[in-house]
Amino acid sequence: MDGSKVTLGRTAGLYAGAAVLRLALFTLFPGLPDLLTGRVEISTPVTSFKRLQEGLFLYNHNVSPYDGGVYHQAPLLLPLFSLLPSFATLPIFTYLLYIAVDLASASALIKIADSGEAGSSALFTSPRRQKRWSGFIVAAVFLFNPFTVATCIGRSTSVFTTAAILHAIAKAVAGAPFSAMVAISFASYLSMYPLLLLPPLLLLCYDRQPTSRAVKSGYQFATTNIGVVIAVLGALFQMSYFMTGSWEFLPSTYGVQLTLSDLTPNIGLWWYFFIEMFDSFRSFFLAVFWLHLSCYVGGLSIRIRRQPLVVLTLLLGLFAIFKPYPSISDASLFLAMVPLYRHVFPLMRYTFVIAAVIMYTTFLGPAFYHLWIYAGSGNANFFYAITLVWGLGLSLLVCDLTFAVLRDEWEVERPEMVGKDIRQI
Amino acid sequence: MRQLFSLFLALLSAASLSSAASDYHEQLVLRPLPLSTLLASFNFRSNITLSSFEAHNFDLFPRSLAQILQHAGTRELHLRFSLGRWDAQSWGARPWDGAREGGTGVELWAWLEAETDEEADQKWRTLTNALSGLFCASLNFIDGTRTTRPVMSFQPEGDHPNATMENMHLLYGVLPHEVVCTENLTPFLKLLPCKGKAGVASLLDGHKLFDASWQSMAIDIRPVCPSGGECVLEIEQTIDMVLDIERSKRPRDNPIPRPVPDHELKCDSSKPYHSHGTCFPTDYSAGQDWSLSQIFGKSIKETCPLTDPSIPPVCLQVPESRSVYASQGSTEKKNPDRMSRCFEIEPETGFEMILPRIETEDPAKSAAVELVKPETPLLYAERSFTGHGQERGGVQTILRNPSLDTEVEFIYMESLPWFMRIYLHTIEARIEGHFGEQEPLIKEVYYRPAVDRARGTQLEVRMRVPPASTVFLTYDFEKSILRYTEYPPDANRGFDVAAAVITILNPEKNGTRFAVYNMRTTSLLCSLPTPDFSMPYNVIIFTSTAIALAFGGMFNILVRRFVAADEGPEMGSTIKEKLGRRIKKLIEKLVKGKTAEKTAAVETKG
Repeated sequence: MDGSKVTLGRTAGLYAGAAVLRLALFTLFPGLPDLLTGRVEISTPVTSFKRLQEGLFLYNHNVSPYDGGVYHQAPLLLPLFSLLPSFATLPIFTYLLYIAVDLASASALIKIADSGEAGSSALFTSPRRQKRWSGFIVAAVFLFNPFTVATCIGRSTSVFTTAAILHAIAKAVAGAPFSAMVAISFASYLSMYPLLLLPPLLLLCYDRQPTSRAVKSGYQFATTNIGVVIAVLGALFQMSYFMTGSWEFLPSTYGVQLTLSDLTPNIGLWWYFFIEMFDSFRSFFLAVFWLHLSCYVGGLSIRIRRQPLVVLTLLLGLFAIFKPYPSISDASLFLAMVPLYRHVFPLMRYTFVIAAVIMYTTFLGPAFYHLWIYAGSGNANFFYAITLVWGLGLSLLVCDLTFAVLRDEWEVERPEMVGKDIRQI
Repeated sequence: MRQLFSLFLALLSAASLSSAASDYHEQLVLRPLPLSTLLASFNFRSNITLSSFEAHNFDLFPRSLAQILQHAGTRELHLRFSLGRWDAQSWGARPWDGAREGGTGVELWAWLEAETDEEADQKWRTLTNALSGLFCASLNFIDGTRTTRPVMSFQPEGDHPNATMENMHLLYGVLPHEVVCTENLTPFLKLLPCKGKAGVASLLDGHKLFDASWQSMAIDIRPVCPSGGECVLEIEQTIDMVLDIERSKRPRDNPIPRPVPDHELKCDSSKPYHSHGTCFPTDYSAGQDWSLSQIFGKSIKETCPLTDPSIPPVCLQVPESRSVYASQGSTEKKNPDRMSRCFEIEPETGFEMILPRIETEDPAKSAAVELVKPETPLLYAERSFTGHGQERGGVQTILRNPSLDTEVEFIYMESLPWFMRIYLHTIEARIEGHFGEQEPLIKEVYYRPAVDRARGTQLEVRMRVPPASTVFLTYDFEKSILRYTEYPPDANRGFDVAAAVITILNPEKNGTRFAVYNMRTTSLLCSLPTPDFSMPYNVIIFTSTAIALAFGGMFNILVRRFVAADEGPEMGSTIKEKLGRRIKKLIEKLVKGKTAEKTAAVETKG
């Protein structure tokens, strides 16, 4: 009893600390939010707060924000932000909303961590599960991660997606498939790519069903839950339709992600590739890139069937590298999930290289972007090279985590191999 | 037979002369401006009744243009070719109150008769393509991204029956990058009845016209219905140019400026250190002498016989006190306002005009004799970019109302390329040095946002500038990065952004004219971030490699089984050992030569 009280106090302290840090950054450095909003590493065309403001302005002046090339975000964000007091006069409410969303994400993360799902799922129990970080530490790592803080201060709308995804996972772990499906539908509605998380999430929900009202048949379970997702998404689209009066938001929000018509630089691999792509091959490579992004879902879900949460984590990592408009917000979501696997950290082989590469790109990325855009002493290849290294660094982390998790699984079968040299055939 | 034919021809031309005499007139108005410049306004106007236009009897109306108009269902057309900047600070108000002026490059707007928007677009494409061929200009590049449909800025100038008004679509296209040059002047002159061979049009020469500090060629076609008369279609061709007198006087065979000898140096005597030994050269010299042939390179050889004799072909706007010598065969007519005079020229005679040098040292006095004081324009406007870097920027327009007691209300229109993503929520108008509450300056905004690769931004703002104040109109934009095939060959030069169109509204709400003054700002040059054009293959290869590494690494781990280092099929065990063996072999080869290689082969076989 006492312990839980202390934890509660500690968690509250953590939340308060994170909130105070963000509020201090917002208020003590009034130029910082706009500066960060303008950074391409934080704001992408589909998450930028400045574009949201423009969409909001047009929406409030009865011009369709989707009949233009600036606003590519989900329609329901518009009424949400118009309900808030105007950003121009009372920005504090917007700041509080963003802080609250970050804290909500952290609370979902605490639930996921404390459930112990990472170490012992329904079908697999890791021998190393004792060595894990509590929800408090995992949430602290998330809340004080500079990437998360920068995303929050930059007011990127991807924080809503992050919160929705984390809540979907938390609900799935808690054995509430319906809520999980609703949450993942919201995430998909906001940024589309989370729909690819549905298969592993279904597996996670299926594994964690409460025994009292468990559905035995996998097919039945899948169809009901996919039905829920379709119904929620349908309702959201209907609401958006009634709000904007036409379906033109579909090509302007999801179409832009599919066709990459806006080539604003970001930390991903798509933009420069499609700037330099020959026109006749553009559609072919768009298809290939999307296919590549979705091909991991099946492979990972089948191979790591026993640990669906691992699949979700790895997919989030892969999306942070390979989705059309990634930002450091996606990386921060992935890096928030990685500490759940504290128990397999000793099995990872390249932690130093990964940390070094991520640090290197974090510092050099903005510098090279400055050289290209402002100083004029570098060209686009400078920033492109950094995004390439960033992508390689993160993919090394994803691969290494996969390796560690699989070796952990294997060592259950071969307990005598702990600490021995192995190879893959 | 031949005699008969020529007689027939003579009869025919006489007939056409008598009927056309009142349908065509031309006039050149010369007005010296401050800083030793000269504004020359050429105006050519001809009419044709709508009934004969419908009957394809075009008379003096240029047939090539008339057929295009008929084919494209054009009811009213305005075409502008402009170059240079009108220096309103020193030259004052624009000629024709700015109504015959365009922004740098080519500007075209027309009212087309069409049932639907699609039909209007279709006709617009026909029109731009046909005009492109006629005027040797890239008008065919006016596509969807460069076409807008202004809502507030333009009103038809002609008289249109209400029935057709409903089906008229206004389309506006602009090509700021177009370089106006001689090839546009030649077809322009060909439209004239005298083809630039006689009359004032014979003064027009590409070398002089495109050497001007500012020039604008305009074609306006509109139906005019005089009260009680038959409706006519009127074509008005206008050329305005501001010539630097000194520059124009340079001899044509020796155009390179050379240092002048000491005794010919013109010194600024207002400088305190001016004396016999020191001289501060002036940029220009007031009270210069000039003549038509010096300015235009030639004088008028002959008047155009088709022109209406009642309208004097040449007018000069100088104070009455300035002496002017005109050639024989011309009569000088002074205007009652004492500020201008016109010259009537007898048929089939040439015309030359000489203005002698004003022999007075006092600059103020000489200016009073030399020129009519320019009118102050209703509004000064200048537009520029703010910010730095190739990521984002702002546009700032400074609008100054020089009047001390009248407020100016106008419509400010921008048609911007799609790759300038403007943020309308940042638009702001503020009065310089004025803080606190005030009546809003922006009264109405019409905004049609750009769609990538399909449509440009159209922004029309109805706003006001209070008397004697300066207003800053600002907004932010973001520069988008394009596909590498979308950049022009000179990508780092930047992209031209069309001039903003300012239409000052008539303060009398029910006045006959919609606009009292028009003006254009200068065009802007927007530099976008550029990719490296030399390496599409490298980028494709590098990115594909990064993806292949991730994909390969991931699926390599997923599909292979774990075994202990010493387990599993032999297959040459670890990479290290494999490599070691290879290197060993290689060394052996190098050392032992061919025989050793054979033995090695035998060994491996065994």
